[in-house]
Amino acid sequence: MSSIFPKEANKAPLQIVIALLIIGGTITAGFTYYFTPKYSRVGYQPIQPVPFDHSVHAGELGIDCRYCHSQVEKTGHSNVPSTNTCMNCHNQVLPLSPKLQLVRDSFASGEAIPWAQIHKLPDYVYFNHSVHVNRGISCFECHGQVNEMEEVHHAKSFSMAFCLECHRNPEQKMRPLDQITNLDWRPESSQAQLDFGNEMKEHWKVNPPTSCSGCHR
Amino acid sequence: MKKFLKNPQPNDSGLKGPRYWRSLDELMESDGFKEYVYREFPEGASELDGVNRRQFLKVMSASFAFAGIGLTGCRRPEKYIMPYNQQPEEIIHGKPLYYASAMPHRNDPIPVVAETNEGRPTKIEGNKLLKGRNGGTDQFAQASILDLYDPDRSKTTVQDGRSLTEAERIDYLALVSKKFSENGGEGLAFLAEGIPSVTRSTQLDQLKAKFPNAIWAEYDALDNTNPEKAASSVFEKSVRPIYDFSKAERVLSLEADFLCSDPFHLVYTRDFSKARSVDDDHPEMNRLYAAESYYSLTGGMADHRLRIASGEIPALTALIAASLFEQNGSGQTNAIDALKSLGEGLEVDPQWIKECVKDLLDHSGSALILAGPHQPEFVHALAFGLNELLHAQGNTVNYIPVPANEASSIFELADAIGLGQVNTLVVLGGNPVYNAPVDLHWPDVQAKVDEVIRLGEYFDETSEKSDCHINAAHYLESWGDLIAYDGTVLAIQPMILPLFQGLTESEVLQILINGEPKEGYEIVSSALTQSLGGGTQEFQKFLHDGFWQDSASAATNVTPSRQVIQQYFQEIDRPPKNSSANLEIRFIGDPSIDDGRYINNGWLQECPDPVTKLTWDNAFLVSPKLGEELGVVANNPIKTVVHKNPNAHKRGKHQGHLIEITLDGKTLTGPAHVQPGLPNYTVVVSLGYGRTATGRIGEGSGFDAYSLRTSGGMSSASGATARKVGGIKELADTQEHWSMEDRAIIREANLDYYKEHPDFVDLMGMESHSPPVLGIDESGNNRRDTVPLQKLILAGKENRGNSLYETPEFTGTHQWGMSIDLNTCTGCTACIIACQSENNIPIVGREQVARGREMHWIRMDRYYSAGPEQSRKEIPANPQVSVQPMTCQHCETAPCESVCPVNATVHDDEGLNVMAYNRCVGTRYCANNCPYKVRRFNFFDWNDRDMDRVYEGPLGPKGMNELKKMSKNPEVSLRMRGVMEKCTFCLQRIQAAKIEQKVKARDSGDIKVPDGTIKVACQQVCPADAIVFGDISDPESRVSKLKESNRDYGVLAYLNTRPRTTYMAKLRNPNPLMLDYYENPMSNLEYKKANDHGGGHRDGIGNSDHPAEGDVHNSH
Repeated sequence: MSSIFPKEANKAPLQIVIALLIIGGTITAGFTYYFTPKYSRVGYQPIQPVPFDHSVHAGELGIDCRYCHSQVEKTGHSNVPSTNTCMNCHNQVLPLSPKLQLVRDSFASGEAIPWAQIHKLPDYVYFNHSVHVNRGISCFECHGQVNEMEEVHHAKSFSMAFCLECHRNPEQKMRPLDQITNLDWRPESSQAQLDFGNEMKEHWKVNPPTSCSGCHR
Repeated sequence: MKKFLKNPQPNDSGLKGPRYWRSLDELMESDGFKEYVYREFPEGASELDGVNRRQFLKVMSASFAFAGIGLTGCRRPEKYIMPYNQQPEEIIHGKPLYYASAMPHRNDPIPVVAETNEGRPTKIEGNKLLKGRNGGTDQFAQASILDLYDPDRSKTTVQDGRSLTEAERIDYLALVSKKFSENGGEGLAFLAEGIPSVTRSTQLDQLKAKFPNAIWAEYDALDNTNPEKAASSVFEKSVRPIYDFSKAERVLSLEADFLCSDPFHLVYTRDFSKARSVDDDHPEMNRLYAAESYYSLTGGMADHRLRIASGEIPALTALIAASLFEQNGSGQTNAIDALKSLGEGLEVDPQWIKECVKDLLDHSGSALILAGPHQPEFVHALAFGLNELLHAQGNTVNYIPVPANEASSIFELADAIGLGQVNTLVVLGGNPVYNAPVDLHWPDVQAKVDEVIRLGEYFDETSEKSDCHINAAHYLESWGDLIAYDGTVLAIQPMILPLFQGLTESEVLQILINGEPKEGYEIVSSALTQSLGGGTQEFQKFLHDGFWQDSASAATNVTPSRQVIQQYFQEIDRPPKNSSANLEIRFIGDPSIDDGRYINNGWLQECPDPVTKLTWDNAFLVSPKLGEELGVVANNPIKTVVHKNPNAHKRGKHQGHLIEITLDGKTLTGPAHVQPGLPNYTVVVSLGYGRTATGRIGEGSGFDAYSLRTSGGMSSASGATARKVGGIKELADTQEHWSMEDRAIIREANLDYYKEHPDFVDLMGMESHSPPVLGIDESGNNRRDTVPLQKLILAGKENRGNSLYETPEFTGTHQWGMSIDLNTCTGCTACIIACQSENNIPIVGREQVARGREMHWIRMDRYYSAGPEQSRKEIPANPQVSVQPMTCQHCETAPCESVCPVNATVHDDEGLNVMAYNRCVGTRYCANNCPYKVRRFNFFDWNDRDMDRVYEGPLGPKGMNELKKMSKNPEVSLRMRGVMEKCTFCLQRIQAAKIEQKVKARDSGDIKVPDGTIKVACQQVCPADAIVFGDISDPESRVSKLKESNRDYGVLAYLNTRPRTTYMAKLRNPNPLMLDYYENPMSNLEYKKANDHGGGHRDGIGNSDHPAEGDVHNSH
């Protein structure tokens, strides 16, 4: 047989295995890098034009989420506050702080402050804030412990599986309507959560859509 | 035991064409057609030109390689949120705002409500606060949103080739004002469209005070003021007839198209449908006699349609009057003789006239005769007189006072220009250079004026011949008001600031009169509060409601003057003897582009004509007989209709032989299209095409029929000749696209037959032979998909029937369904455009339509039928028309779902057949398996590519025009190339309503959306209320009630698809005494004949007639 296969051929199996590993690894890495959905990127934390600190405002000062995100209960989009909302307080509080220069400039000029978008769903997903916060789902479930974040980052993976997990078992996440914006609220126990959730699910007729049509149009 | 259910096949006994057909080729079963219908798409639809699959793969692999370089594009882009600086109080991001406004349309403006999303108008609805309106609009109003965002609109003011700034524009107009204020307007003239408005008349008063010598003229290419002119002389009072179709049980239309193109058609359609719909509370329906040349939608709805040349209508009217005098026993021998002599030589069956008149007389007080606005005053005058004899006034017709029109005509203006009396001409809107009567030679007339100032939305033919073109604002950018046909004052208010700083007519007049500009709001509010009384509060209410409270004109009592009517007798010509050497040409406004003003609107261009189904072009419509004589159709027997090359079917292209029409020495060449139902020697042609100065959409579209139209024959002219000139133009005609062959798809019956056989729909179609889909009830009848049954099934107490397909579980709170009433649907196609606007449906262009790639989610099927005598030997001369809007039926056991390899189309728990666009890989299996052929495939990226450059592949220009982006509905995804799409039952509206209800419910369980909350786009736009959508699990909902009607049927229900959209069978109400009465017509007869049925069906399902059925059950 040696007349047919040269001696180097003995290394071929190993070479093939190594080559396959390299090729496979490259492909996997490539897919991971390029093709995994970026809306599920947990930890994404862009630098904001104004160093707004949620842990101070929502945490220490205890300002309700809805003071700034005022339309969250009325419409699908939760609005980023307009400059005049900032200036409601900051014409009195820290009126000369250099950190707020952009806000004051914006207020004077009428130009919008370009806030970097953190939570972004794909265009073909139609998420609606109002129906969630009015029916027992807290901001916390998707946005995490925002009242402890100095600079907000992407806390949860917004994959379809994440949405469906809750849509299939809403009782595990539902809470009383007066605790929606209380990000520190926790159920007494998981059993208490289930009891409450199941009761409310029955009583409120909570039946979140699990078909395509619920979110995609 | 294995047995097959044998579907009954139509037996082929002799030459027997299908009874319902959509094109002549289908009727004649021409060679190409059979192959054509077996395809999922027309052959060309799924092929690239000149590129085979192998080449295509080569090209694509190269582009994939290129794509690798740009992979960084997959990284998430940094996006910014730009909040408001000062939050406006009323804007809630994501919630549309609605404002009332009105769309100008000659003397019949359309009250609308515009939906705005973040300040950009995206959808037009009708204003249903107005009396007699139901929120319906027409195709023009729906498509006007696209005009607003047309990138080809004129964007600047141009004077002698130089763009003017806004300040220069004002200075320029102020200078004109100053020049003429010295001599009282001597030499100043205006030419405008006849659009009645309070602001305009106030400004005209100011104009007259300031410039007493100025000329104000009005011109409309499609004038519809003849009824008023005739009424004013007959009643010796300036009045306008307004008809009340809800009270009219018998209607005779003398070439009136009151259901589509005539003024006030939206209200008329609604009233007419009310009187036409049949249910338990309203067992009788109206009867419509129509005499007409062109096959209009009104003719399509008619119970008796008389095809007659337009020029013969006066003679016919005279004979009808004579017959009425004879039959009502008034003994007016002189009048009868005079009238009979007027109608001498008219070849119309006297029995038609006699029985029609008898029927009208029998319903005196609830009968109505009306004439088309283009008909000469004589016809109107006589019709008014006859209506008096029928005691119509106060019942079916009312006369409302209208201000006398003091404007000069375009002819008087042309004379003044000819005498050198005009130095400066201001053309406000319109397009006289293009559409003035050709014998006026308007371009030359206009050239004689020193200075022509033009206000127009487009830089068109008239602007080209003007010294100064001022860009006009769209109505959605304007302040103003309009006076509706019934006298109601409607508000026009801007939804958005003028995108290109356009000016409105009132703003231009303001500067010309007073020498200085004024805000549009100021002009309008002061004009209105001054003329109508009231202050700011009334004006605010006016803006909120969209109309001035109680401003509709009250009816006034009038008596006709006999002398005046008789004087008209002198004016009337004898009926023309039409023949192939003396053809009549009938000019009509185009249902798509009106008088040519909408030629650059892609939605309207691509919307198939309601009857011919032509898109993007016009054609000379010729009768089958004339077609034969001209050689555009072969002689008898016509086995193959050779107006089409057999191979052409493969491309789905309709080949129009070019013919040349000569009228008064002027010739015009265009493609001929054979249209059954026309008088033998009348050629119908629609106006508005063949524009020389228009945008990218309108370029090269059709031919200009205005070039034949003279002031003596504005609506029709006799004395034309035609000849075939050789050559063929390919027309994009959708009449054969998605054909469904010969099955009991449309079901109709006569009213009398229906009364005797209320179950007739159940005895038609294959399902009357197949095993009962939902089982048999106690009395042995085929069970209907009714609410009680639904409930039992949902409760698990009842089987849904046998299906191999795994039936989805319908556990949702609501179960959506739709009912479409074929009895009231007129086929006006407004729903097609409404759907297009609501669901971001792209246009594809002429070439792609010809390949069958149009994207409309609703297809308006138009079937011809000619009763039992029709054969394949010759083309029927006067067939009936039946229409059927066809869209996704949301089958419960949807055939499309079972073949999708990637689960892209699935059912949701509320019974919707949904498409997940992102899952779709474009196999098109679903479209292939859809029995209704309602799925549409994105062969190209229509949204991102220029229509004429789609073939350039990845290297071609990409991206959507910024203006176009603004017109899109933000609640609906745009679909990419390679994705299937179809009707979603307006999912975005369903979700919005459900979410709103849940938000309202908060911590209660009140989450059921009340019936009537959701109106899908096609339902909302329908002026006839033919479409009803709702929750079929609620037995009290309107749609459930309708589905329980015995006229309710599912199309192709024998396939066990269980469609959620069902239809209500069409009824007609022919007069048994008429010659063309048919006892048991249409689909019912056709079905029976084709399947060689005796009366066996009547005994119910499962009798000895159908031995196979019991066995089939066992075989499962």
